[in-house]
Amino acid sequence: MSRLSTIVRPLGLRLVLLLIGLVVTLPLLFLVSLSLRSPDDVQNGGWIPTRFVWANFSNAFDTIPLATMARNSWIVAVGAALLTVVIAVPAAYFAARAPSGQRLSGVLLGSYCAPPVAALLPLYYLFKDAGLTNNVLGLILVDGLATVPVAVWLLEGFVRRIPEEIEEAAWLDGLSAGATLRRIVVPLIASGIVAVGLISLFLSYNEFLFAVSFSQRTDSQTLTVGLSLFQGDHTIQYGQQAAASLIGVVPMYVLAVLAQRWLVAGLTAGGVK
Amino acid sequence: MTVAETTRAERGPVLALRSTSAGRRWRVARGTRRVPFLFAVPSIVGLMLLMVYPTVYLLGLAFTESNLARPLQRWTGITNFTDALRSTAFPGSIGRSVVFAAAATVLVVVVGTALALLLRARGDRLGVLGVVLLLPLVTPPVMVGVAWKLMLAPVGGAFAGIWSRVGLDGFNPLGSSTGAFLTLLLIYTWQWMPLVTILVFAALLDVPRDLVEAAQLDGAGRISVFRHVVWPAIRTSVWAVLVLALVLGFKVFDLVVVVTSGGPGFSTMLSSFFIYRTGLQNSYEIGVASAATVIFVAVVSAVMAIVGIARKRAVAES
Repeated sequence: MSRLSTIVRPLGLRLVLLLIGLVVTLPLLFLVSLSLRSPDDVQNGGWIPTRFVWANFSNAFDTIPLATMARNSWIVAVGAALLTVVIAVPAAYFAARAPSGQRLSGVLLGSYCAPPVAALLPLYYLFKDAGLTNNVLGLILVDGLATVPVAVWLLEGFVRRIPEEIEEAAWLDGLSAGATLRRIVVPLIASGIVAVGLISLFLSYNEFLFAVSFSQRTDSQTLTVGLSLFQGDHTIQYGQQAAASLIGVVPMYVLAVLAQRWLVAGLTAGGVK
Repeated sequence: MTVAETTRAERGPVLALRSTSAGRRWRVARGTRRVPFLFAVPSIVGLMLLMVYPTVYLLGLAFTESNLARPLQRWTGITNFTDALRSTAFPGSIGRSVVFAAAATVLVVVVGTALALLLRARGDRLGVLGVVLLLPLVTPPVMVGVAWKLMLAPVGGAFAGIWSRVGLDGFNPLGSSTGAFLTLLLIYTWQWMPLVTILVFAALLDVPRDLVEAAQLDGAGRISVFRHVVWPAIRTSVWAVLVLALVLGFKVFDLVVVVTSGGPGFSTMLSSFFIYRTGLQNSYEIGVASAATVIFVAVVSAVMAIVGIARKRAVAES
């Protein structure tokens, strides 16, 4: 590998990587450009706004109830992340340490392989009867639970890296299983818990299938549903649509950049090995 | 690993001091493994709610007549299944979903792994590109669809202008069947390729460096080093990533809704979108949608099983 870097000219490599970085960010840069243009300017089809227009951002709030939807998205994402963590931490400890733990993680991972659309119609009736349609609680429940398999899978890797002797010592000192989990295991896998919580937050914030199916009223709809409601065929709304998208995604980007180290460590710590 | 081993070595004497008798040591060793089943219960309840109950109920819906207000009205036998299989859109959607998931998986794994190798050749840190690669992953697929649809728009898009300036006209990749399907694949690859890169890059960090250098000293070329040293070390990880990519490939729904609505014609009508449209959007044919779901899940399971066997064989051979 070290010779590879001397074979490929560093300059050429850097150019390739720059190109890749550009391809990855291209759609996002174009959204920024669109969001700052007037409808006429959009029609021109250029890349750079001829004149900066900020109205798209305020107008987007009038076209769809953006503020309500953003609030709903955040409630669902944070609630689901908490639910995932509360369920997945003890389950991951069980999966890593109990004799039948492997069976649990196997069954959970198997369930993750099924396409979510399989649960769509049954859950629709169940949630309708339980008053959980048109309700952010329903989305918290389904999003939070849906992420549990991934969370257990990733956290299991973190638990396995704890030397078992530490837990043995805790047992010896008379700590119960619950106290061992709370006072020994949780602090040692804290970075993993943060990563898993964030991953659940992102997945729930981004969820669309259940959000669009279970919420017909705007007071419980999330951002992803709102964005899908824009009729993309009218160029007059391109700027607004881009602005609304940015309003939805920029907080997530800030979070991802701030938590990059945890996220990458969390993603790579799991059972991929 | 090394950290864990050091800790173990340090803790060893302490434990030995504490558990002097063999009996006590045995009790401790067994005690550690008694993680109560209670810890697994919430996740199992979740599994019941999200997996077991829906599966049973889905079978009920598939063999009965239902409307949105009232499920399970009347036993209809296999009528829903025959209706689904005779519908114009559904049978094709199954094949399309399989082709999409397979092609998408191959694309993201090959491109993602290639990029990971490239980055590994540069050094052992992802650097700024690590941050950039996270962006597509945390972007809602709906928004990814919106962004790409705007970029590809025939009027006001990012490429239409360049296209006409080069002298070509009628830029509209979403206007033709093949174009729309390939465009969806491209957008999907844009979103998920970074995940493969991040995971494979992490696996590449574990490839023993001295082994690579030894092979190079023996005069092995780049391809030979990859085949005989690097690939055996990352094979397990790449296969795991491949299975993950396949799972994600079958989940695609948002992109279809936003970018193509299944068209033009039925060219991008994937099964998940057919089920949603038939059950909850257009005709509210719950029974047909449920039967279609059963068939779709069966096909997905079969594909996953085949890939699972292939993976076991590939990982086991050495």
